[in-house]
Amino acid sequence: MTERADFTDATRATGEAIIELQDVDKFFGSFQALRDIDMKVGRQEVVVVIGPSGSGKSTLIRCINRLEKHDRGRIVVDGVELSDDIRNIQEVRREIGMVFQQFNLFPHLTVLDNITLAPRQVRKMPKREADALAMEMMERVRIPEQANKYPGQLSGGQQQRVAIARALAMQPKVMLFDEPTSALDPEMIKEVLDSMVELARGGMTMIVVTHEMGFARAVANRVVFMADGEIVEVGSPEHFFTDPREDRTKLFLSQIL
Amino acid sequence: MTVEAPVLDVEPVEVEPGQGPMDWLRKNLFNTWYNTLLTVGLGALLVGAFVAVITAILGADFEIVRVNLRLFMIGQFPVDQLWRPWVSTYLLAVLIGFVGGALAAGARDRALEAGLPYTRTTFRQILLRFWPIIALVVVILVFTTTPLPSLLTLGATGFGVGAYYLARVLPRAVRRWTWLVVVLLLAGAYLALAGFGGVGWEDWGGLHLNLFLTVAGIMFAFPLGLLLALGRRSTLPAIRAISVTYIEFVRGVPLITLLLFGALAIGFLIPRDLRPGLVTRMLLAITLFEAAYIAEVVRGGLQAVPHGQVEAGQAVGLAPWTTMRLIVLPQALRATIPAMVGQFISLFKDTTLVAILGVLELLEASFIVNAQPDYLGKGLFVVTLTFAGLVFWVGSYTMSREARRLERKLGVGER
Repeated sequence: MTERADFTDATRATGEAIIELQDVDKFFGSFQALRDIDMKVGRQEVVVVIGPSGSGKSTLIRCINRLEKHDRGRIVVDGVELSDDIRNIQEVRREIGMVFQQFNLFPHLTVLDNITLAPRQVRKMPKREADALAMEMMERVRIPEQANKYPGQLSGGQQQRVAIARALAMQPKVMLFDEPTSALDPEMIKEVLDSMVELARGGMTMIVVTHEMGFARAVANRVVFMADGEIVEVGSPEHFFTDPREDRTKLFLSQIL
Repeated sequence: MTVEAPVLDVEPVEVEPGQGPMDWLRKNLFNTWYNTLLTVGLGALLVGAFVAVITAILGADFEIVRVNLRLFMIGQFPVDQLWRPWVSTYLLAVLIGFVGGALAAGARDRALEAGLPYTRTTFRQILLRFWPIIALVVVILVFTTTPLPSLLTLGATGFGVGAYYLARVLPRAVRRWTWLVVVLLLAGAYLALAGFGGVGWEDWGGLHLNLFLTVAGIMFAFPLGLLLALGRRSTLPAIRAISVTYIEFVRGVPLITLLLFGALAIGFLIPRDLRPGLVTRMLLAITLFEAAYIAEVVRGGLQAVPHGQVEAGQAVGLAPWTTMRLIVLPQALRATIPAMVGQFISLFKDTTLVAILGVLELLEASFIVNAQPDYLGKGLFVVTLTFAGLVFWVGSYTMSREARRLERKLGVGER
């Protein structure tokens, strides 16, 4: 298949794969959410996943850090294959940061505590060191002045940037973004995308589920189009804008662009 | 027994700017003829009831309470051992003062660290918060016949205030040991009563026993209820089955049944030498009973925490138990404060049920004094029951108010 060829080329171009999915299937009851997913993501690669709702985009990235358990196939993250062993799962999760559509900040903790919680609990970092790290991350997403506020006191855009800082504080090798701007008011989308673009330019490996084609064009190495739980087409952003091959891709793009 | 909603104060209605109170009255109470009728009718009823109650209280002869005050407060605690409750009271006063001071200092430090304004609690705020308790203590002291209790109470208050200021000025490194101070003082307060040839809780009585059963009941039932709630949500079928069976069984039985069972049935099941005392068995029954209710309250709170919170915890690599402890439980318990305090208030009032086994707690004491030769057949139940009711009201109302305060405080930054 031509798409598969595209895939391998892109992977080769960016070096050794950090995430590898082989023949991954996922069922919710009798509904098949993922079908024969093969995918490799290279180090420092930015992959944007697009597709109609219910196409399995979110399920795909949620399988990578085991928020969903895949039913068949192999998922290998940085040399560790995901299994049922909880220690194995936690090891993988430490290397993967995730940003959710609904932010999922901890409402009972201040912004600073939201960010330092995992470094202190998981990495056993002393408070002083964790605070310094958190300040650094907050400066990266341009919210250092919000450290002592609670998430409920921030705007949606600020909350999402806190969520990015929280994920970054674990110093992950890969960042997953599950529709990070879909719950935001239009005027706040840019500030979040700016932070993400900066992150991508800094060399972070990223898998981003989004419909922001401007973002894809700016930083994506590859765009993956999914429909009905399958990967339908893979290519560069330019390929999708100028020469999409599959009818389903064309239809989808005509709807969102 | 039912779970009661805590008493809620009605928020004062804001008067819009440019409107006098007369306008407000006209708009809200006298806007139609039937509203006017209702206002006048209910107003007259309220005033009448108020006058009647005040007249009854002022006109009543509280001699029966005055004479039996000790019985109401501590039951049949031996008179020559009275120094023990006082020592215990002093230790508890120091405990309350110290914890209050440590909490205030902690809040102050956090505010300073975060660069936020910090307003210290004023004397007036304390008065407004605890006026029912303060008023009750004054009433009780007025009933005493010698000045000694008043002097001792003043002394205990002084100790409490001293401990408050001590805790405030202590450095943070020392304040970190507050929990140890709490444990030591609690143990001390208990030993002062029961240790060194003292009087064990089997022989406590009056309000003292009600308070003890309430505090001990909460202390034991809360952790057990928490475990049961977590057990009910466990992924292990055996643990879930045990929790569900326990909760549903206990909730299907009246507390009195459990108390009777504890008092009578356990007596047959356990050999006399190993049998715990009557009050211990009461405490056990109360604990087991309340735990089932607390478990359901906690379960409601757990359900109120969105699943995204767990996922966010998992995604940053927190272990399942850490996620539960630091992310889910704090939010769940905050959501349960109203229901939980309702449960605690019920527990406080339910401690009166131990009376059916002949234990001399406050309510029972306020009954039996009417059988004393001096008061027999004088119909003074109204007086003694009013007094007991007042004491329970003060406790319940204070709990309810403090819960509301806590709720507001924790609500800072709520989504």
